[in-house]
Amino acid sequence: MRRSDLGEFEEVVLLAVAVLSPKAYSVVIAEVLEQETGQLVSTGAVHAALQRLEQKGYLSSHLGEATPERGGRRKRLFTVTPLGGRILSEVQSVRSRLWERIVPQTILTWS
Amino acid sequence: MEPNPGKTPPRWPDKLLSWLVAPHLREEVLGDLHERYHRRLLRQGEARARQTYWREVLAYMRPSFIRRQTTGQQAGLFSSPHLLNPDMLRNYFKTAWRSLLNNKFYSLINITGLTVGLAVGILILLWVQDELSFDRFHRQATSIYRLENRVGTGTSQQIWTTTVAPIASFAKREVPDVKDAVRLVYNNSYTLFTYRNKSIQEQRSHFTDPAFFSVFDFPLIQGDPANPFPDDQSVVMTQTTAKRYFGAENPIGKVLRSTNKTYFTVTGVIRDIPKNSSITGDLFLPVSRLFNDMYTTRKDGKTKDNDFSQFMYDTYLLLQPGAAVAGLTDKLRTIHLRNKPDDTDLTYLLLPLPDMHLYRADGGSGSIETVRMFGIVALLILVIACINYVNLSTARSMLRSKEVSMRKIVGAARTQLFLQFLIETALLFVIAAGLAVGLVLALTPAYNQLSGKDLRLSLGNVSIWLVIGLTIAGTLALSSLYPAILLSSFEPLKALKGKVSSRLSEASFRKVLVVVQFAVSVMLIAGTFIIGHQLKYIRSKELGYDKSHVFGFFMRDMRTHYEAVKAELLGQPGVSGVTRASDNIVQINYQTGDNAWDGKQTGETMMMRPVAIDKDFIPFFNMKLQAGSNFTGAVADSLHFILNETAVKAARLQNPIGKRFRLWTHTGTIIGVVKDFHFASMKQKIEPAVFYYAPDQMGTIYVKTTGKNADQVIASAQRSWKQYNSGYPFEFSFLDDVFDNLYKSEQQTGLLFTLFSSIAILISCLGLFGLAAYTAQVRTREIGVRKVLGASISSVIQLLAKDFIKLVLIAIVIAIPVAWWTMNQWLQAFAYRIDLAWWMFGLAGLLALGVALLTVSFQSIKAALMDPVKSLRSE
Repeated sequence: MRRSDLGEFEEVVLLAVAVLSPKAYSVVIAEVLEQETGQLVSTGAVHAALQRLEQKGYLSSHLGEATPERGGRRKRLFTVTPLGGRILSEVQSVRSRLWERIVPQTILTWS
Repeated sequence: MEPNPGKTPPRWPDKLLSWLVAPHLREEVLGDLHERYHRRLLRQGEARARQTYWREVLAYMRPSFIRRQTTGQQAGLFSSPHLLNPDMLRNYFKTAWRSLLNNKFYSLINITGLTVGLAVGILILLWVQDELSFDRFHRQATSIYRLENRVGTGTSQQIWTTTVAPIASFAKREVPDVKDAVRLVYNNSYTLFTYRNKSIQEQRSHFTDPAFFSVFDFPLIQGDPANPFPDDQSVVMTQTTAKRYFGAENPIGKVLRSTNKTYFTVTGVIRDIPKNSSITGDLFLPVSRLFNDMYTTRKDGKTKDNDFSQFMYDTYLLLQPGAAVAGLTDKLRTIHLRNKPDDTDLTYLLLPLPDMHLYRADGGSGSIETVRMFGIVALLILVIACINYVNLSTARSMLRSKEVSMRKIVGAARTQLFLQFLIETALLFVIAAGLAVGLVLALTPAYNQLSGKDLRLSLGNVSIWLVIGLTIAGTLALSSLYPAILLSSFEPLKALKGKVSSRLSEASFRKVLVVVQFAVSVMLIAGTFIIGHQLKYIRSKELGYDKSHVFGFFMRDMRTHYEAVKAELLGQPGVSGVTRASDNIVQINYQTGDNAWDGKQTGETMMMRPVAIDKDFIPFFNMKLQAGSNFTGAVADSLHFILNETAVKAARLQNPIGKRFRLWTHTGTIIGVVKDFHFASMKQKIEPAVFYYAPDQMGTIYVKTTGKNADQVIASAQRSWKQYNSGYPFEFSFLDDVFDNLYKSEQQTGLLFTLFSSIAILISCLGLFGLAAYTAQVRTREIGVRKVLGASISSVIQLLAKDFIKLVLIAIVIAIPVAWWTMNQWLQAFAYRIDLAWWMFGLAGLLALGVALLTVSFQSIKAALMDPVKSLRSE
């Protein structure tokens, strides 16, 4: 389970799936990311990332219900697999370990 | 769905996407896009939503959305493993092996047919490859040509493969396109060579130019390549020959003693000349030696540079790359005419070296016909073997259609089934190919003897393994694809309902294949008949002389004591006659155009075979004089000539007796005309010949035995040989053997052809046998019902055999015209040939029909005799 398996965008998407679970699908994920980052996020990019994550085994998916605004089409709902969860927490612990090692002065100089 | 058009996203990006995006993703992708649009519309208004819609659409233009799903993935969770997954491969082999074992009868038929077909195909193709490789091993093969002459006018035109000596040096000097020239002439003068106490009579030695070793790929491996013949006493020999004389000693510098106290020093050794070379030889002497012997004592002023009348040299020209052949021959003719203006009827021809073995001297097809024929026979045999396999496996496909359907229903993809059947065929083939290679190895010695070849299956010989590999691969491809495609194509529902076998097209395809098989067999049988007949014909054709029980040998020093030897031999019991001549009557090799007769026109030439004969030669051989009289042995006979009928015709002489005739320098009269007799292979027309009387030239003695006591006669001949030729080995030959040798290659061709066609029909019948067995098996129930209802055994047999017999009859109708045409072509190679008759083809067809009937009826009778109760209960 190499860390390099997970790109930055993929990581964010994976996190968003975890956040929105169990109702995570590309449109809502894209909107959440758009809100959080303030940048335009297309469903296509999110969808591609979801596909990759599913291929890697971090996500699983099933088809959900259809809605009128979708033109009666079903949506694909994603959930984080145990493997994906483990990867997420690994990523988080690496980050927090590093954060903890930053000397407070350094943080002060940024603000 | 949505009434307000502003609420729906733009139409045609949707169209683009639904065309571009893979089908299995279309739903979610379009759904996402529409939902997003809808949300934007509510939040940001129509203009903004439409604007961003484009960006959204473009974000889907990536391979992961466009790439289509493979069939394996479609099934999602239940997808089958990959086609070449090791587990699947193991499974393919396992099922293939099981199906081979479960159907032992058909597996055996298939393996036998394929093994025999492959083995025979490989053997023939090896022969073909060997024939085609003749003379191509020379690096400059494509630039080397044999120089030939076309001489004579009108109907007496002939091609001479030997030329005069000077033309080679003239060509090299005056024609820029000619890079080098080599002359080769058989060495008759020095035949016995002695080293210490070892004497060997050399049969294959030649005089040649030093360039022989550089123009051809016969380089010196010992000695000085720049100067193979330092002087006239030099000799170059092959490795094996050197070993014969000197064993392990270094041959260079060793001295061999030859006839009349002459000596030769070994100055070079070459590798043994390969078997696939038209130019052969063991010893090579400098041609300058021959010139010395021929011209130093001549008083008529002829030298090696101006003797344009002695046509006895094989001349090979090495041309510059890209030189034009057409203009060159004209230049050579000009040179010839400049030196000998009266040879106006002479033209030069060039035959490419690689064509020498397979084509006739005039470039017409010679043994290439046989090579082509055998190549075709090999392919036909392989095709027959493939057809067997294809027929049996497609016919039995109905039985397997249920298996295929079940596999499909539990999720096998078509490619997997395809691969499974491919591997089944391949497995069968591996077994058959292994057996075939073993069979080829085992049969090679016998085959070599039959074909007169020296094929060796050494691992190092790439071309041989290439032939074997290609044959096997080609056959495999031919016979595996169709059954695999057919079997994997069954639709499960229809197949399970049992609707497969009724498909008309497959059955008729199979019928076509059976027809092809039998057509080929009939052609081969007809070919065998015709070849056999032609060979019998030429061997039994009236030769015009009686050669039975006659043996002859070259007299050497016995020649001066001929009368004494003759008297002694005639006193022996078992000897009925003795005579002598200058040449062998079965095969007269010498030829000359140096002649004249009353009424000869300027520029006209008649090439003829001159033979010096004794006065009792004509009665000895039972030849018939058509007119005039025989030699009497008087001195005046040296100016008398006896012509054969062909010579009289060619010279356009009305009343030949008493007409003046000149041969070389002797001018005399024609005293007799002898009936035509065959002094060469039947492939050639009888040529003009002349008998003359010159006792000093009659070097060959002929002894006729009564057929009994032949051994005693030979023994006494050997005694007198020892008396006069002590130290020389006694070598004699019966004319019957010499004659048989003329037709050796035809005999071999005939024998091989018989063998091959029997094998072809054997394989065909094997396939038919399998098909018949299958048909009987499938119709077991039908036959049972018929029998219960009162059908007689014979009517059941008829029912089963009828279909096959119809096919064989169609095959015969197709085969006969093709065979007729092909065999007619083959016969053209013979000057004397049989006429094709209907009965040959009829018999061939009848034979094929008979064999087919026998094969089919065996199965039919078995089926017809079955107890209906049993057969009905069985299903």
